[in-house]
Amino acid sequence: MAYELKQVSVSLAGREVLRDISCTLQEGKWISIIGPTGAGKSTFAKVIKGLIPAYKGEYTLHRQPLPGDSKGRMKAVREIGYVFQYPEQQIFETTVYKELTFGPKMLGHSRGRIEEALEPVLRQVGLPAEILSASPLVLSGGQKRRVAIASVLITDPKLLILDEPTAGLDPLSRQALLQMLREWQQANHRTVLFISHQMEDVAEYSDEVMVFHEGQLLGHSDPGTLFMKNTEILRRAGLPLPEPVQLLRLVEELSGRTIEVDSCRERDIFDKVRLVWEARGLHHDE
Amino acid sequence: MLIFDQVHYYYRKGQPLLASVSFEIQEGEFVAIVGGNGSGKSTLARLMNGLLQPREGEVRLGHLSTRNTDDLIKIREQVGLVFQSPDDQFITTSVLDEVVFGLENLRVPREEMSVRVKQALRAVQMEDYAEAMPHKLSGGQKQRTAIASILAMRPRILVFDEATSMLDPQGRSQVLSVMHELHRQGMTIIHITHHMDEVLEAERVLLLNGGAIAFDGTPPELFRTGTLADHPLDQPFAVRLQHALGLNTGLKADWKEMIRTQWPTS
Amino acid sequence: MTNKIIMGQFTETDSVLHRLDPRTKLLSLLVIMLSFLLLKSFASYLAATVLVGMLLRMSGIRLGWFARGLKPLLLVLIFTFLYHVLLTGDTVIWSWSFIKLTEEGLTKGTINVWRIILLVLIASVLTATTKPLVLAQGLEKLLKPLSRAGFPTETYSLMIGIAIRFIPTIIQEMDRIILAQQARGYDIRSIPGFKRVFAYIPILVPLFATTIQRAEQLSYAIDARAFGTGKGRTSYRQLEFKRSDLVAALFTVIFVLMMLLIRIYG
Repeated sequence: MAYELKQVSVSLAGREVLRDISCTLQEGKWISIIGPTGAGKSTFAKVIKGLIPAYKGEYTLHRQPLPGDSKGRMKAVREIGYVFQYPEQQIFETTVYKELTFGPKMLGHSRGRIEEALEPVLRQVGLPAEILSASPLVLSGGQKRRVAIASVLITDPKLLILDEPTAGLDPLSRQALLQMLREWQQANHRTVLFISHQMEDVAEYSDEVMVFHEGQLLGHSDPGTLFMKNTEILRRAGLPLPEPVQLLRLVEELSGRTIEVDSCRERDIFDKVRLVWEARGLHHDE
Repeated sequence: MLIFDQVHYYYRKGQPLLASVSFEIQEGEFVAIVGGNGSGKSTLARLMNGLLQPREGEVRLGHLSTRNTDDLIKIREQVGLVFQSPDDQFITTSVLDEVVFGLENLRVPREEMSVRVKQALRAVQMEDYAEAMPHKLSGGQKQRTAIASILAMRPRILVFDEATSMLDPQGRSQVLSVMHELHRQGMTIIHITHHMDEVLEAERVLLLNGGAIAFDGTPPELFRTGTLADHPLDQPFAVRLQHALGLNTGLKADWKEMIRTQWPTS
Repeated sequence: MTNKIIMGQFTETDSVLHRLDPRTKLLSLLVIMLSFLLLKSFASYLAATVLVGMLLRMSGIRLGWFARGLKPLLLVLIFTFLYHVLLTGDTVIWSWSFIKLTEEGLTKGTINVWRIILLVLIASVLTATTKPLVLAQGLEKLLKPLSRAGFPTETYSLMIGIAIRFIPTIIQEMDRIILAQQARGYDIRSIPGFKRVFAYIPILVPLFATTIQRAEQLSYAIDARAFGTGKGRTSYRQLEFKRSDLVAALFTVIFVLMMLLIRIYG
């Protein structure tokens, strides 16, 4: 079960925004998408979601080719959830209840199933049940964002696309949101496509990373390979290394030896660096 | 120079947004103001140049008070405000008109306007975009235009109200470098943010919590005292690194510099 | 969607029309539009069509661009046409059950549709060749005599300028909401015919909500740059009548005279 693109190109207003993309998105993975502004990240996500009507190439959904017509694309639309950038700006219903039930209704879920899904999804995003009758207009920015995300999670998507979901949030809200989404993804064995500018978040959460640059897919690998072994791709896309990896490089330079770490998560790198640092310090004491 | 004297503010009585806020900002300082979402940061910014009036207490700039209608125009000339959303502060339809807008309101003569416009656009490196339309600009370019439009009014203080939070990393670093360059030239900068690594580069930091000042001091003090633990703010990378290595002193915004200088040599 | 609505959109080409004083354009447009009330004979329609065709050519903008702008009006045009064709006139050319097609109806329908097209085209020539702010400035200058009678011309012209500036932004917003609905399985574009008009209503609710928030932000941005001191403003972009304005004005007068003569003797 997977989502597969073969040589997909997209032109918008006479400009080629995606060029010859071939890739497979495996189920159950957190896949991050990085690249400079205008690299084609959002367009790629929209193709996967079936929101872009005309593209060249082939899109296979669970080994079945997806017809390019609107009916075919609706199939992709149905099982994929999409949280847009600044999702709180796209709330369009008059109460939280209506906003949350809009998606499942459109998918034809039964009334009973929708009602049952409400409470768990509110709990998931950390909102009280009383909020259901409130108008979205009176909610705080953070609450609106959680409502917007809940309104997508409630459709129980197999693949969830997140377009910079943490933009504009304070650091702890950001961590809490990503943690929550990661837990949801792992507990339900779902796939996540995570568009981000924050290399540190990408290094922390991803199973796989895709690098886009000027409409092309420059690389697709696990974060360890991308950030620590094959860093040429990152350089070509004009993207910085995550800070922990930069630290690792600096310590290697200062100590004059290579340090083996198999994870690019901050905590693991800090542990290694501390060992090197302490070894140096002890040596110095003697 | 800029004084908050026992300022209270609320929209509805009984739900204070700011309570007994007092501080003074000196000429030439670079002050960061931090706090979680909804801690009252934006309200604070709007009180600074009289867009909002305190319910109790007073906001003063030198001997001018925002309470005095005659002073207001002078205060707005001297305290420039850059807002969060690049889209919602663009009033006109081109970069040039945007910079000129404030000058026209201040009744600046035409010859002087063109001098000021040139200087302001150069300061933010937008001189090649004078005739560009807003919806064709990137977020960083829009914010730089907003800065230019305020610089042209020759303010003494620039207040950035989360002006970097909606930008991509590239736009953010453009705006930050403009900010620091202006500070080097002597401008007083007040930077409201929740990017903690930006805080380390300030000379002084005010922490806002539930509408009150919870901390007022230097960034290393803030991170050393552990005040942050109770707030929805994380530690900047340099501080986390410092903790991980068990270092107690020498905190620097540039953590690479910090590591280099403290690297144990044998 | 964004590209379809051209009313009120400025194009960045350069032409004789782009360089005319906005006051000349506004007044000429008004007079020409009024003269279209005189349209009756075939000769008058021919004259008007030639005039509009000439103006389109002179604007230096591709004809296809104007044609695209007519597309959203298609429904109105068809409705007008059918209204006349089916409900007026006596000379029946063709009939089927209760539907009667008359000769007078056919002519009347064609003529009325043609008149709307001419009016829309000439209005889009104005907005396509004049920057919104310049247009607002021209209007302000024209209305200046009214300000002596206490009419707030500055505020009104700023209002018009902002309205025009925000057209692309609001369209973008609308596109975003449609996309968000589409992403949850609701495709407004798949709803047929007249029903779609009503389907747009739920989109308007969030659109108003965000627009109100925008308006609030914007009002702060305007205040922060010292607008509305009551002491008047200076203006950077100077308006001055040139020779070409005289030519345009003369041309307008001659055209209107011609229309009058055609009406009287034609």
